[in-house]
Amino acid sequence: MTASPPKTPLLAPLFVEARKLNRSLAVVLAVAAPALIAIFAFFMVLRGREAMPWEMWMMNAAGIWAFFMLPMSVTALTALVAHMEHGPKSWDHLRALPLPRWRIYAAKAVCVLALVALMSAAVLFMSWGAVTLAAAIKPQLEPTGVFELARHAGLFGKIFLAALLMIAIQLWVALRYASFVPALAVGIGGTFFSVVATSAKQGVFFPWQMPVNMLATEAWRYQTALGLGLGLGAVVMAAALVHLSRREVL
Amino acid sequence: MPAAIETRDLTRRFKRQLAVDAVSMTVPDQAVYGFLGRNGAGKTTTLKMLLGLIRPSGGSALVGGVDVARDRIGAAREVGALLEAHGFYGNLSGRENLDLTRSLLGLPKSEIDRVLEVVEMREHARRRVSDYSLGMRQRLGLARAMLGAPPVLVLDEPTNGLDPDGIADMRRFLRALPERTGATVLLSSHLLGEIEQTATHIGILSQGKLVLEGELRRLKADLAPEIALQTDDATRATALARARGFDVLAMDNGLVARLKPGEDARTASASLNRALIEADIAVFAIGARSRSLEGIYREVSPPSPVTPAKPQPEFA
Repeated sequence: MTASPPKTPLLAPLFVEARKLNRSLAVVLAVAAPALIAIFAFFMVLRGREAMPWEMWMMNAAGIWAFFMLPMSVTALTALVAHMEHGPKSWDHLRALPLPRWRIYAAKAVCVLALVALMSAAVLFMSWGAVTLAAAIKPQLEPTGVFELARHAGLFGKIFLAALLMIAIQLWVALRYASFVPALAVGIGGTFFSVVATSAKQGVFFPWQMPVNMLATEAWRYQTALGLGLGLGAVVMAAALVHLSRREVL
Repeated sequence: MPAAIETRDLTRRFKRQLAVDAVSMTVPDQAVYGFLGRNGAGKTTTLKMLLGLIRPSGGSALVGGVDVARDRIGAAREVGALLEAHGFYGNLSGRENLDLTRSLLGLPKSEIDRVLEVVEMREHARRRVSDYSLGMRQRLGLARAMLGAPPVLVLDEPTNGLDPDGIADMRRFLRALPERTGATVLLSSHLLGEIEQTATHIGILSQGKLVLEGELRRLKADLAPEIALQTDDATRATALARARGFDVLAMDNGLVARLKPGEDARTASASLNRALIEADIAVFAIGARSRSLEGIYREVSPPSPVTPAKPQPEFA
């Protein structure tokens, strides 16, 4: 028998996952979704009759992101990332390799989380850029007040953390089922109920509404949503990794 | 020398269906082992158990002397696999695809050039896999299976979808593989002609059971020869041969009449020829030969009335 190959470097699956995104639809989506919000903000500024504060424009962008674009983007992104393996049926190849399977799934989860974090940052900076550009075209509409980067970055950061439970659920379903249908059904259903039950108090316990609750004025709402989103998100993500790495793919 | 692959009473049950039934197979070191069976016979399920992709319901499997159930990662280090689904990323080039697996295996970059050289794919390696023909994907799959020079290669239907030139190339390549790389090859197929020209050993799986295993040359030598014949009336020729005590099988290219043990092939062939002509049956070709793999296969693996369906997950 020949010598066995060396052990896999710890971070290799993560770098491999990142390289798979090269020229993929997931990257197109990661750029397109924040850009749509920025384009919307650009035209909203141009349509205005008077200058509005920076605060309002950034809350608008955060609202659209947390309320609708984030859950829909997470639905599509997780489905696309999972389909990179489901499509060419590469699970058998990956799962037959001499490395712990949970590392393959963990690398996917880290990649998705990193993409969503980058998208959150992109929404913040693209919206700032769009408003600035629109104000340059119509100087009389230049936003009033100061653009408080740290405060807005903090808000987008909390939205991202509160979305962890939703991301974990979507990723679990997308990786579990080879078909797009269950992942899309869960994502569209979750977003739908989140929209129609916006004002419901119980919404704070609903994974798809937890990010929106970061915009709430009552402290208990955003604290509960943030705690649950982050805490349960970590638990569900861990459970997903254990389940996916142990299950048989027939 | 230990066997490259060894299973003992390997069994897998899917709910009520017994897909693999106490299979005990031995693949000698540096053999090209043809793993034969009809669709649904249990070949892929057996291969998946050898690769640690599914757990056996009973029995054990050793790859390179490592128990797959006890040390999946250790066993996986001994084996490279080309599975029916290639699992390549179409958005990446052939080289990039190989590089992903190379990174996961922790191998040096030079491994990519080595395996591309072996499968003669260096000049196409920078093209996107989505632009590859099926034959090129099969070769790339072989290259990927050989990364890190594993001592055992498991190839599931490697000639599937290839054109005749591609099949001939693959056959030539597989035959040379043990000598070229020192690897043992477990080759799953239902193409008897391919296995006959490629394999040194065979194992035949029928309805989940291993019904025959051994060195192909020896199996052919141990069995009594047969008479191959082509006539203008297969039905009457069959009846006539059976009336004379022959066991007759219909093959793709004519009939085969089995000799009785101890019977002289030339005499029996001449006698049958005379009888056919006297019965006014035109004989286009007749001759004694050693057992063909097809003949052996048909004898030990009769067709089942219903081929069991592969179990599918809810959302396949």
